[in-house]
Amino acid sequence: MVKGTVTSLSSIFAPDDALKASVHVQEVISQRQKEVQQLQAFLNDNTSLVNLLKKLPDQLHHDIMVPFGKAAFFPGKLIHTNEFMVLLGEGYYAERTSKQTVEILKRRGKGLDSQIESLNAVIKDLKFETSFFDETATEAAEGIVEIREDYVEEAFDEDKATTSGQDDFASILSRIDQLEKEELESELAEEGEEKDEADIEPEFRNLEIKESLDIPVYRDSHIKVPTPSGSNTPMRPVDHNISKEGLSRAPMSRDEVEVSTLASTSSSSNVSSKTRVAASSSSNASSKTSVAASGSSNASSKTSVAASMSKEVSNFGSRSSNDKAFTGSIVERTHNIENSQKGQTSAPASKPVSRFKLQRK
Amino acid sequence: MDRLREEKIQKFEEFVDRRLKPDLVRAIAERDKVFEQQKVFSDLRKNLENLEKNSITSLRSMVNLGSEVYAQAEVPDTRHIFVDVGLGFHVELTWSEALKIIPAREERLARQIEEYTRLIAQIKAQIKMVSQGIRELLQLPEE
Repeated sequence: MVKGTVTSLSSIFAPDDALKASVHVQEVISQRQKEVQQLQAFLNDNTSLVNLLKKLPDQLHHDIMVPFGKAAFFPGKLIHTNEFMVLLGEGYYAERTSKQTVEILKRRGKGLDSQIESLNAVIKDLKFETSFFDETATEAAEGIVEIREDYVEEAFDEDKATTSGQDDFASILSRIDQLEKEELESELAEEGEEKDEADIEPEFRNLEIKESLDIPVYRDSHIKVPTPSGSNTPMRPVDHNISKEGLSRAPMSRDEVEVSTLASTSSSSNVSSKTRVAASSSSNASSKTSVAASGSSNASSKTSVAASMSKEVSNFGSRSSNDKAFTGSIVERTHNIENSQKGQTSAPASKPVSRFKLQRK
Repeated sequence: MDRLREEKIQKFEEFVDRRLKPDLVRAIAERDKVFEQQKVFSDLRKNLENLEKNSITSLRSMVNLGSEVYAQAEVPDTRHIFVDVGLGFHVELTWSEALKIIPAREERLARQIEEYTRLIAQIKAQIKMVSQGIRELLQLPEE
């Protein structure tokens, strides 16, 4: 049985008050609209003046009626038809030619335009407010009630949960682990097939290309990964790998530092392996493009972590000559990793893991 | 009795606030407008007299094209001047003729101003009367 509360809308928002508020906001709207109209009038004056200024230099003299005070005119001529004096404000005038004055006026017109736009945006917001008030007023008058019920969460599968139920974060992590497990298995199955371009999924291509680059141990690290249960565990496989290969301690410490600063767990192991690759030029290409790719979607903590990690990677790794513009997809690689990477553009969208493996390059 | 009195007082106050005071404000505004017109014409007259005194035949000025953009203008011959005579008409006159009609115009404006001043005084008197009445009504109950 679900418990709930029933509250009448009219008790929260009294219909009269809502109507009054709506009326008040409408007044404000009309005020703003008047301002907009005024600005529009200024803008129109500006444009007509610009047209006039363009036509005046066509003649040497123009016959005009020269005003003398407010109530009298003298017949006369406009001379020096290309010279105009423009008021800049605060009693400062500028003597300019026709073209220059036109430019000044155009700039003023742009300023007016932006003002009008902002005012229109304000009016739009106010209109939303009024409609909201009107709606609530009508609803409250009709006697609509608000019903609240407590939400009871369904118990989720034990398989998926790694860390004890910590909402989205844990579920994402568990999902990542699952995916990595699956890919591992398929990758192991694929082992020994052709090294270069294959029509296999990106993650496998990555792994195989890594092999071709003689970068050891990824598989090992990858194997270790699917058993995370907290932020500390990934450290162990990484350590393990490094001691296995006898890599220098320096990059490892960097990895550790970075890992500790990261929130996600399994991702960190991949990232640390990425740092090792940082020495080789190709990795920078991948990390940079992966930065570009992952930069677009920060939905999962993993990809955002990957992005930050890859940024750090590119920071202390040697900067390769990868200056491809980010076009929203991983398209071009500079060196070894040629065509195989091109096909990976669309794949990473749904599978965060695959992007990871991309970044491991 | 008190209720009646209070209602009366309220009615009087409302009358003052809603009818008399806005009337007063409007009358003052109209009078100010006429004042301005008068000033314009008196300035014109002074300038014309100046021109005549110094026998200025031509002059140069800056004409406002709108939005405070000025262009140079030259008046080669200042003998003829077009004066506004109301209803959108301007009459071409010589100096002497202009100097004759401008004072006449000024006089007419002065008469208008006087009328407005009388009206304003009337309204002010009415306001005073009503507030006096209210005061009396208020004082009587206290006594």
